[in-house]
Amino acid sequence: MLSVKNLIDIDDLSIRDVEIIMENADTFNEVLERDLKKVPVLRGKTIINMFFEPSTRTRISFEIAAKRLSADIINFTSSTSSMKKGESVVDTIKTIKSMIADLLIIRHSDSGVVNFISRYIDLPIINAGDGKHQHPTQALLDLYTIKKSFGNFRGLSVAITGDILNSRVARSDILLFKKMGMDVSVVSAPMLLPEDISHYGVRIHGCIDDVIKDTDVLYMLRMQFERQDRKYYPSIKEYNRFLELDEKRLNKMKKNSLVMHPGPVNRGIEISESVMNLESSMLEKIKVNEQVRNGVAVRMALIYLILTKE
Amino acid sequence: MGLTFDSVNTLPRDTELIIKNARIIDPVQGKDVKEDILIRDGVIQKIGKLKTEGMAESLQQGIGDNKKSSHFAGKELLKPLISENKNFIKLEAEGLIVCPSFLDLHVHLREPGNEDEEDIMSGIQAAIHGGVSGLCCMPNTVPPADNECYLKYICSVAKEQDFNIFPVASMTKKLEGTEITDFGILKENGAIALSDDGCCVQDSRLMYEIMKYAAQFDLLLILHEEDYSFSRFGLMHEGFYSSKLGLDGISSLSEILMVQRDIELAKRTKAKIHFTHISAKESVELIKNAKDDGIAVTCDVTPHHLSFDDSELESYDALFKVNPPLRSSADREALEKGVLEDVIDIIASDHAPHLEEEKNTTIKNAASGVTGLETIFAASFTRLCCKSNFSLNKLIDILSVRPRKILGLNLPSIKPGEKAEITIIEQDRRKLINSDFFSSKSINSAFMNKELQGFISGTINGRKIRINS
Repeated sequence: MLSVKNLIDIDDLSIRDVEIIMENADTFNEVLERDLKKVPVLRGKTIINMFFEPSTRTRISFEIAAKRLSADIINFTSSTSSMKKGESVVDTIKTIKSMIADLLIIRHSDSGVVNFISRYIDLPIINAGDGKHQHPTQALLDLYTIKKSFGNFRGLSVAITGDILNSRVARSDILLFKKMGMDVSVVSAPMLLPEDISHYGVRIHGCIDDVIKDTDVLYMLRMQFERQDRKYYPSIKEYNRFLELDEKRLNKMKKNSLVMHPGPVNRGIEISESVMNLESSMLEKIKVNEQVRNGVAVRMALIYLILTKE
Repeated sequence: MGLTFDSVNTLPRDTELIIKNARIIDPVQGKDVKEDILIRDGVIQKIGKLKTEGMAESLQQGIGDNKKSSHFAGKELLKPLISENKNFIKLEAEGLIVCPSFLDLHVHLREPGNEDEEDIMSGIQAAIHGGVSGLCCMPNTVPPADNECYLKYICSVAKEQDFNIFPVASMTKKLEGTEITDFGILKENGAIALSDDGCCVQDSRLMYEIMKYAAQFDLLLILHEEDYSFSRFGLMHEGFYSSKLGLDGISSLSEILMVQRDIELAKRTKAKIHFTHISAKESVELIKNAKDDGIAVTCDVTPHHLSFDDSELESYDALFKVNPPLRSSADREALEKGVLEDVIDIIASDHAPHLEEEKNTTIKNAASGVTGLETIFAASFTRLCCKSNFSLNKLIDILSVRPRKILGLNLPSIKPGEKAEITIIEQDRRKLINSDFFSSKSINSAFMNKELQGFISGTINGRKIRINS
């Protein structure tokens, strides 16, 4: 049983909550191995998947998770949020309230919108990513992916590379990885780092080469050109020089170490074309597709735990 | 009969008003004494021990049953007693403080253009409720106050209402920061100072010219300091909390760089400048050094910057979205120290009324600003006198005397022959601020649902009197 009824900020979860989610994800992961990939545990429950910002993988992941739990899921997508069409946030909330659902899953391009909505709505809410703030289910599926490779977390070193400033994934990952006892560093440039990042207890590096030999997990963020209101970083050439994973760097990595990326990968920016096309045993290291697959199991676990809390 | 609580009453010309047993704090005369005050036709007649015996018997309760007396803090303070023919009112002020009313140097009255948020009349009501008898209204109305027509209008309404409104005109046309306004004509038509408040002139050469020309007319410049290259897209102070909350930050460098620039320009041009709503600890330091160097610079801070820091945004409550943003706890402490050490001259509210839907929304969509006219004393007193050891006498000096000094106005004093601009304070009174508290059209106060101490019991402004429940 979780200690929370919502998941808005990853830091709201206790270590025990995280462990329970991981255990349940194992169970649902088995379901996904079956021929008939569906369990009847949430029959009659209604979930609204509210996406005020374009998304493919996260929206589909939640949709599949809900369907495999036999819940009814309704997709509400709006590329330009209706708030921009003159509808006030409060009015949007009233509309949602009238829909009488059991769970809301919300993605929005502005930080804090999910916190704001939760003040007005009594229903359980899962934050599917809000602006540059948080993406807690991504952090959980990342953690689950690490767990499946290493079995435990304590003492593992993780290096998060790239655009931390504009990344909600980084904010949630750093908080969760630190909570579970991992050693976290960031590899980036000052223009791509939020102010006072050192308060999070992370070490800061300027080049992948500083960490490549020692890190257990190399977590590469997507360069979020769409979230940059101006050009923060000089060039792709410069990015490649200091922050790209190419074959040479890949070969320096420890045995059993992992490369992760929340997707979609910008080929030739964060990860070189040649690494993406590898067909050697080194490919084992790259967990991008496994992360997507684990996302379904983790989201099934979370939805199940939240909707069966009573 | 006659007076009502919580609204402004205008007394007939022949009415005599006597305030009994008040502790009069008058910083200009250096007075702190317990005496009575007699007022007739809006003018102070006598100060001293005044006789009311013999008249008291014929007096009746001046206020009907429209308000329960339990609203009255359980006391009979300030309960007006009125004679049958209504030409004599006695206010018992035992235990209360009487002082010259305040002047708020930074107010947005929203007229013309946004009268649904506030207008001149509702702004006056709010001011009187807050113990304020004079205010400077900022020029960023719609259209902006960059010409004499606006000034004439404001001055005529102020005169009609017998209330001191000192309009501030813009220093650039349409507040666009590109062409300067008619400083000379604006001054002749009642502009007390110039400001592009809400905006900041980015072009340093233009600012230099503005200062030179303002110096020619001895016009004060009220400066909102913001380097847009640091504040564009910003929603809150850039620091630990903006990183945590994923909200775009406004670095304190945005303010610091402009304060530094304008101190240099003022040094060169001899212009009189006043930095309004300063927020960063480095600004306090720069202003301290400039004063030590003898440059004509003054500044103010708002009660909300003295009371809150950026951690308030953790709730994503847009009530705390203001410009300049609430900064770190270290900045807040430096501001408080700045007031204590007289580096910061005065407190001004930056009263910025907004509609409910502009504030009850997400941080990104919300308007910046909070109201403050009605809480300027309570918020300052709570922060400075209750939580720190600041003297009440000095706070009254900061709110009443020094703003008028900065603006070159007559200094307020409670003595015979002066217009009665008197504020009566109950310093032990505590109240939880809620939406019923306000007389302003807008209720976007940063102190909503907070308990404050030290409230205005009544304000006398000429023949106008308001007594608060």
